[in-house]
Amino acid sequence: MKKNKAMIFWFSLPSLLCLLIMFVYPVCRTVLMSFFKVESVTAGLSDWGFNGIGNYTKIFGSQTFRTAMGNMLLIWLVGGVITLLLAMLMAVVITSGIRGKKFFRAAIYMPNIISAVALATMWIQYIFNYDYGLLNEMAKLFGGDKIKWLGSDMKFWSMVAAFIFGSVGYYMLIYISGIEGIPLDFFEAATLDGAGKVKQFTKITLPLLKGVIKTSITFWSINATTFFLWTKMFSPIDTEESTIVPVVYLYDTVFGGKGVVTRDAGAGAAVGVVLTLIIIIVYEITEKLFKSDDLEY
Amino acid sequence: MKKKKIFSLMMASALCLSALTGCGSAPADSASADNTQSSAQSSESQPAASSQASSEAQGGGGKQYEGVELTMWSMWTSSEPQAQVIQEAAAAFEEQTGAKIKIEWKGRDINNVLSASLEAGDKFDIFEDDYQRIANVYAEYTYDLTDMAKAVDYDSFSYPCLNNQVIAWTGNLNSIVEQPQVGGVFYDKDAFEKAGVAAEPKTWDEFLEVCQKLKDSGVGPIAQDGAYCDFAFYHQLVRHLGEDKITELALNGGWSGTEAETAAQEIIDLINAGYFVDGAPDEFPSSENKIGFGMAAMIVCANYVTAEVNGNTGTEVNWGLFNYPAVENGVENTAAYAGANSLAITSYSENAQAAFDFIMMLTTGEFDQKMADTAKQIPADTRNTAPAILTGTVETLLSAEVPMTWCGGLHANSDLKTSFKSMCVELFEGKYASGAEFCEALDALY
Repeated sequence: MKKNKAMIFWFSLPSLLCLLIMFVYPVCRTVLMSFFKVESVTAGLSDWGFNGIGNYTKIFGSQTFRTAMGNMLLIWLVGGVITLLLAMLMAVVITSGIRGKKFFRAAIYMPNIISAVALATMWIQYIFNYDYGLLNEMAKLFGGDKIKWLGSDMKFWSMVAAFIFGSVGYYMLIYISGIEGIPLDFFEAATLDGAGKVKQFTKITLPLLKGVIKTSITFWSINATTFFLWTKMFSPIDTEESTIVPVVYLYDTVFGGKGVVTRDAGAGAAVGVVLTLIIIIVYEITEKLFKSDDLEY
Repeated sequence: MKKKKIFSLMMASALCLSALTGCGSAPADSASADNTQSSAQSSESQPAASSQASSEAQGGGGKQYEGVELTMWSMWTSSEPQAQVIQEAAAAFEEQTGAKIKIEWKGRDINNVLSASLEAGDKFDIFEDDYQRIANVYAEYTYDLTDMAKAVDYDSFSYPCLNNQVIAWTGNLNSIVEQPQVGGVFYDKDAFEKAGVAAEPKTWDEFLEVCQKLKDSGVGPIAQDGAYCDFAFYHQLVRHLGEDKITELALNGGWSGTEAETAAQEIIDLINAGYFVDGAPDEFPSSENKIGFGMAAMIVCANYVTAEVNGNTGTEVNWGLFNYPAVENGVENTAAYAGANSLAITSYSENAQAAFDFIMMLTTGEFDQKMADTAKQIPADTRNTAPAILTGTVETLLSAEVPMTWCGGLHANSDLKTSFKSMCVELFEGKYASGAEFCEALDALY
């Protein structure tokens, strides 16, 4: 038994060390840094100046950060509702025994295997383009006026729409695997009892997918909180207010931007801590809302 | 069960925080690992007749830098034309001096890793980045090149406005210009000729006349992409207020009642007169491409717009450049945007002189000319010739006394800069009825 314990220790050590160095240390350093005035992210401790909650006061006092948080909230809430509902709908349709199930599943998932940069470029240059974009060509076809999809009023929602397009397939696959894990007997019994498809969905599928839904909400929350690349693609050259999100604010604060030479790693760390707290809160709320019933089937 | 929950919570937060803290550096590092290669692998070496580096063999028949190894971190990727020229220059330098040069292609995100690497004392001798960042962010870790530059009479073949700017920022010369940039109004000479415009406009009134003539000829006078709206409006602001005043207003507010109202009103007048091409402000690079398609004639941008448009549209626009027009009662009517990507040497480099000699080989004479021709950029050596699409840029840069920074005054307020940018886009979209309304909205940000 003693030998076994030693073996377990030595076998775990490499992973444990990796975890400590690559996960725990950065987390501790970031939390600590958020209470200090630090210019460069790699500055030595001797260059840190205690700042109390100054970094938090700074970021919450910043209009740009508040705008970024507002944008993130919209992406999480509106984008989340649309994405998860669409994903659920498609998963239910695909698992309902339609013809060409494999084709539809692959087609809907396909955006996930395309580079997000290529996907964003496609949306910006070929779908939203003012002069020859797909949407304006369709508008012209129906006698409508051209719309500035990427004008300051529409840019945010255009970006969210493109992001949703790229995300639905991933969540659909999660739901499909959840639905396929439910024994067919349940549905057969319900059918014999006279339950329709809608009733079967609300009374069998949804309750048994609680755990999967909880997981997908957590995943979506992490996706929305770490939203970065799409903003960069939709506001090239320099960050714009209409598309800014907290991680981009963090990036600009820590590294500066075009023509900006001021850097504040302490404030950036504070943004990181705030975002993590948000994820933890969302996780806790979903845990409370979707209590696991420990159903076995 | 509870323990399991706490553990999963900890894992989720650790994953998230580490993802946030680690953002930025990883891609560049991995890219560099993939792209690292010795210039010795360059297919052919070129003679370096124009180099400032001595090719004299040192005593004993050995070459000057035999046994010296230099490492360069480049802001280009290995497939870019700039990289090809750097490799050729490095191969020539190796042959001439006996030194070995290792080049790591870091790409544009080099600025995300430079700070950390310099602080950590990573082993590299030369690096490339924006000269403003080299002067203001990395100055502590850069070598003072003043004496070396004097020894080769650098001032006689470089741009005084850029050198003076670096010295003003840092107190010494800590970088050598590799890729100078100049801003202004870039235009299609053929469109001007077709519209009957004989001379480049010097004043705002002349500029408006040119716009009208272009419009009458059926061409959209001005192209404008949303990405550059702040840069374009900044020119108008600088003419009326000067950079110092813009900095003061950006930091403290108080735009209403200043000449900023006139500047904004002039942009609104341009919109109302229909002087912007259809769709402007468009999503980058849609509007600038319209010059290549013959739909627009002018754009306020930096010199790289010429290569971008030609490349994007597959055309050879007959480019011209004039300084942004002077406005009535303007306080800064001659300033032009000037910037550069420059080369610096790390303060802890053990082979600073060899590194400097290589930089000189790269930024002067034959290789600089090759860089200008291949990458379609302004030569760093003023004795060289700009490619045809950048005719006049060397002269403009040489005559510029006060270089204008990239929206420097507006960017002085790093917290509001994104708001400023979005408001500039809205200004060009015609969202404001008057300059006064625009300035009121600016003041509302404070």
